[in-house]
Amino acid sequence: MITKVAVIGAGVMGAGIAAHVANAGVPVLLLDIVPPGAANRNAIAAGAIEKMLKAEPAPFMSKAASRLVTPGNTEDDLEKLVDCDWIIEAVIERLDIKQALYRRIDAVRKPGSVVSSNTSTIPLAALLDGMSDSFARDFCITHFFNPPRYMRLLEVVSGPKTRPEAVASVSHFADYALGKSVVTCKDRPGFIANRLGVYWLQVAVIEAIDAGLTVEEADATLSKPIGVPKTGVFGLLDLVGLDLMPHINASMASALPPADPFHGANRELPLIGRMIAEGYTGRKGKGGFYRLNREGGGKVKEAISLTTGDYRPERKAELELPKKFKDLLSADSKASRYAWKVMARTLSYAAMLVPEVVDDIASVDEAMRLGYAWKFGPFELIDQLGADWFAARLEADGLPVPGLLRTAQGRSFYRVEEGQRQRLGTDGGYHSVVRPEGVLWLEDIKRTRQPLLKNGSAALWDIGDGVACFEFTSKLNTIDQDIMTLLGKTLKVVGKDFKALVIYNEGSNFSAGANLGLALFALNIAAWPILEQTVAGGQATYKAVKYAPFPVVGAPSGMALGGGCEILLHCDAVQAHAESYIGLVECGVGLVPAWGGCKEMLQRWKTLGRLPNGPMPAVIKVFETISTATVAKSAAEAKELLFLRPTDGITMNRYRLLADAKAKALELARDYVPPQEGEWILPGEGAAVGMRMAAESFHRRGLATKHDLVVSSLLAEVLSGGDADVTRPLKEDEVLELERSRFMTLLHNADTIARIEHVLETGKPLRN
Amino acid sequence: MASYKAPLRDMRFVLYELHNGAALTQLPGLEDMTQELIDPVIEEAAKVCEEVLFPLNRSGDEEGCRWDNGMVRTPKGFIEAYRLFREGGWTGIACDPAYGGQGVPHTVNVVVEEMICSANLSFGLYPGLTHGAYKALYTHGTEALKERYLHKLVDGIWSGTMCLTEPHCGTDLGLSRTKAVPQDDGSYRLSGTKIFISAGEHDLTENIIHFVLARLPDAPKGIKGISLFLVPKFLVNDDGSLGARNGVSCGAIEHKMGIKASATCVLNFDDAKAWLVGEPHKGMRAMFTMMNDERLAVGLQGLGLAEVSYQGAVAYARERLQGRSLSGAKYPDKPADPIIVHPDIRRMLLTMRTTAEGCRALAGWVAQAVDVQNHSTDPKAKRDAEDFVALMTPIVKALFTDLGFEATNLGIQVMGGHGYIREHGMEQYIRDARIAQIYEGTNGVQALDLVGRKLGAHTGRFLRQFFHPVADFITAHADNKALERYVDPLTKAFVRLQQATGQLARVGLSRPEEAGAAASEYLRLFGLVALAYQWARMAEVSLAKLEQKTGEDDFYRAKLSTASFFMDKVLPQTGSLFASIMAGGATMMEFPEAAF
Repeated sequence: MITKVAVIGAGVMGAGIAAHVANAGVPVLLLDIVPPGAANRNAIAAGAIEKMLKAEPAPFMSKAASRLVTPGNTEDDLEKLVDCDWIIEAVIERLDIKQALYRRIDAVRKPGSVVSSNTSTIPLAALLDGMSDSFARDFCITHFFNPPRYMRLLEVVSGPKTRPEAVASVSHFADYALGKSVVTCKDRPGFIANRLGVYWLQVAVIEAIDAGLTVEEADATLSKPIGVPKTGVFGLLDLVGLDLMPHINASMASALPPADPFHGANRELPLIGRMIAEGYTGRKGKGGFYRLNREGGGKVKEAISLTTGDYRPERKAELELPKKFKDLLSADSKASRYAWKVMARTLSYAAMLVPEVVDDIASVDEAMRLGYAWKFGPFELIDQLGADWFAARLEADGLPVPGLLRTAQGRSFYRVEEGQRQRLGTDGGYHSVVRPEGVLWLEDIKRTRQPLLKNGSAALWDIGDGVACFEFTSKLNTIDQDIMTLLGKTLKVVGKDFKALVIYNEGSNFSAGANLGLALFALNIAAWPILEQTVAGGQATYKAVKYAPFPVVGAPSGMALGGGCEILLHCDAVQAHAESYIGLVECGVGLVPAWGGCKEMLQRWKTLGRLPNGPMPAVIKVFETISTATVAKSAAEAKELLFLRPTDGITMNRYRLLADAKAKALELARDYVPPQEGEWILPGEGAAVGMRMAAESFHRRGLATKHDLVVSSLLAEVLSGGDADVTRPLKEDEVLELERSRFMTLLHNADTIARIEHVLETGKPLRN
Repeated sequence: MASYKAPLRDMRFVLYELHNGAALTQLPGLEDMTQELIDPVIEEAAKVCEEVLFPLNRSGDEEGCRWDNGMVRTPKGFIEAYRLFREGGWTGIACDPAYGGQGVPHTVNVVVEEMICSANLSFGLYPGLTHGAYKALYTHGTEALKERYLHKLVDGIWSGTMCLTEPHCGTDLGLSRTKAVPQDDGSYRLSGTKIFISAGEHDLTENIIHFVLARLPDAPKGIKGISLFLVPKFLVNDDGSLGARNGVSCGAIEHKMGIKASATCVLNFDDAKAWLVGEPHKGMRAMFTMMNDERLAVGLQGLGLAEVSYQGAVAYARERLQGRSLSGAKYPDKPADPIIVHPDIRRMLLTMRTTAEGCRALAGWVAQAVDVQNHSTDPKAKRDAEDFVALMTPIVKALFTDLGFEATNLGIQVMGGHGYIREHGMEQYIRDARIAQIYEGTNGVQALDLVGRKLGAHTGRFLRQFFHPVADFITAHADNKALERYVDPLTKAFVRLQQATGQLARVGLSRPEEAGAAASEYLRLFGLVALAYQWARMAEVSLAKLEQKTGEDDFYRAKLSTASFFMDKVLPQTGSLFASIMAGGATMMEFPEAAF
């Protein structure tokens, strides 16, 4: 059991790891050296915590989490390690310093505690060279990715002497408490993700320079078309820091055998050397391959010319990029030739790494998906090409064909056999891809059965033990008429044949909210009755979810905004992934929540808000939250804002969300009694005036725009109950009617239309 | 006998009573364009059209153009008529005063163009093409090119053409082969063959300035590799005088169904000296500037022909005595009643009349938006107007030319055998009208433009400029008893249009062929609803005028009756169109190709 953790080294990685341990609710000691002549001997660790509280994206999930990190220093506080079950070393990448520290740690740590290093370049064998056997038994490498809160990959390397239980205990904690996917690697330079990723980046840079591509062209090619984040390669290097490149390349070069293809790509690049020397180290420096030129008070996005090294205004790449990976690699164009050169070498290299670095291809794919945010791992990409096609093309180009590709001849790297996904092993046979114990993954379930219900935007699945799962399948999981229709049918089916319902999906976001595009189109053709019907229909469906005769558990991950948040508000309970971003953002597009969002939030703050008596405090709280379109930046924060109830659950590991939600649903299903319809005691018009005045003062201070005033004024009308008076409680449908009428009023407003249009066209809010 | 009187009363109704032409004077650059200034302009235009152009219409059709060893001779009287036309300032009526134009609002220009199309469509094509050329150069040309060419194009002493089509490509211009090679002096040498070039060669002007689409040597494949070039028939010296003959020649003229007095030419470019207009490879953008204007103008051809055909048919129906009214003799003193007493004749005449007056009203609405788009300094108003014009352009082009063709067909039918023979001139109208459904993008292409480009653009933003005014009008008059007779059918048809639009947006996204299959019917449905809105508005205005006792009761009563006819007898077509659209395109697309 790991109940207390220490992290030594409060740099970006160490501090980030400590913050994330705290996010898991586990106390953590963060130590660094005593800076020479400092008054506060903990200044480095304390400073790191301070800095993290302001950082974006936030390393902490809540303020409360930050209080779990205790800063200290390695001179005064080392003996405190005696309480720690896991000690993570994240100091500078120097063997002598690390080993000296290990000796001091070993002297104070309690028996059986695990020590691990976050090194990315030093082999485990070297770290343990000369260390005691007892230390070696408790030692492993745990390699986190930056930023530790958000990157889900953890590479773990154990040595020949490492106790299996030590690795198991750390892996278990990393999985359940930290939410990481643990990939076990061999003690090889760069492990998996960086070994391949660094090679990929290096090849991409030199090929771009040699082929005369601009950085925009290279990034446009090596991003969306191959399933890589839009930063591509140059944008990614700006993000991680150009100055790291030479160090990593040098350490790879010294550690890898002479025959490794890495050496063929490791070329010194004068341009990058010059950029680093001049402080152009990327986003943390004066800029990198891209920069924002603020000369003359302007803001000009610029990119560097790879030929001259001068900055010039950024130009959108004008390339014809086929949508399919194979088409991209086959076409005859500048972009396609480039994509082929880079990806042919990268995918070949990946095939050479098995079994050198890891025994199975699935681990390589998982590492690249979670460590570099690739949509598809390298072997999944080869399957898109066809292993034979790829091998033939390599041969035609005179490039070596890796042995593993020969093994795959006439076959694919993955296949599905009786609903079970299998991977090709180095032995030439297929082996099941096994999920960690207890993981329930909808994609796996879907391979084994047909949906109970399905339409263009949603599906209903039987996930076993009497629980059904409602899945959004629309684009960005936006909510439309089809979802409402299927949800209505779902309630009937579940009521008849199941004990409970879970609302869950495996998209990167639970739901971006109502489909604004459809709404805008309907609005543009003045289909007002249809729009009003959509609002009323959604209200009725969500209400039916709330009063269904069985428990409904929402299980969000990623964004749950607007209508996506409102459906959660109508669930009996929520089991949220820790990385859930929940909020009612309707005001941002000039609307008010009208699928019961206002109604439910009023009730929550009234019953759970621990506020002073009377109807006003809850109304004010909800007004503040909704009028500013506040989005919780974590599930923990969502609890503070009451988008989640205090009793709702939080799951750290994305893979374990569905299993946890199902368990919660089954727990509720025992002796389930649907909620009673409540009543809403709202303060009436006077309160609306007060809220309007508050909004006006925001406007005067420049914090609210002209249209914000209009929107918040109508929101205030809804929240205060219209012309209600305190003595007559409102029924649920009356509050819904208020939401609906104000929503329709705003839909007719030209400034609201401009906001909707702007957000759809640019993805950014319009502050009009 | 064929006759033409410009419908000035109705034109004034559209300009000033229906669409508030007075508001135009609020736009920068149009401050002087009051009714006092505009009335004489349209009266004078009517005179030229009735007295100079119309008398040449039939003789021009009979005689046609003649090609003689690269020269093209227009029919007798055209040279003289063109001189009068030019001297009257009509070639530059809608052009920028900075280049010698008169800068009248587009709203007024539309009225004048309609009259020209009624009077003599073939003749109208010569200055019409010049205006398109003017527009392309004015919008995309360099100052030097504009200075050298625009004055004389506006003056009409030179004319212009648009050279797009090649022997193997018309609609799909991405296949163009004409080449332009850069020269050291910044000009180009252009070679290739263009066909179907209206006014490509003729004897009306001293020089002809061709605007030609061609490819540069490094051009990308397809439509993104097309550039626009200016190629004069005679090179122009620095002092503006004419120099050597350029390498462009007319190889032949087409023999065709209608517009026989308009020279439709094969043009051979052989190392012709050319100048780039606009940016390299952005020729389609430049061409579309003039194409959009031209599409609106082609719509007016349908309108103009419907009007003149209607006038001929009405005159005949009043005079021609055949049979007796079904309810008993109306003119017992005569050997038979005039055929205008017969229901079916009335059906045809009123259908023609709703086309002419309805399209005129709709053209006025769109033209007003063109004026706002061209002159407004308010970015919001400008964008709204641009959206509206973009949306309505394919509708005006295709709806007006289809309805115009149908009207000219009815015109013949009213006259029976006398419509079919050449003597009365009615059959010329249908032959002339036929081309308008084809050129400047066939009406099928217009329908695809509407459903493919205009419908979904910016999540339906263009649509808002039409749907919101109509919805607001319906809401505003929901309780208006007097107007109920017009608003109710409009509402019914409008809901059909909304539903069909929603349907196309839904299926069109995932299955583009479904949208393609419904496109033509959808355009007609949209067009009929647009006309219905105009008719309801005309009824609203007419009721108000009757209330005011202006002394023109007959005019306004006739308006109301025509509006009622439209609502009862024309608009119900939206029901069948709607049913057909909703039935989808499977029957067409699943039909085996081999079975055709």
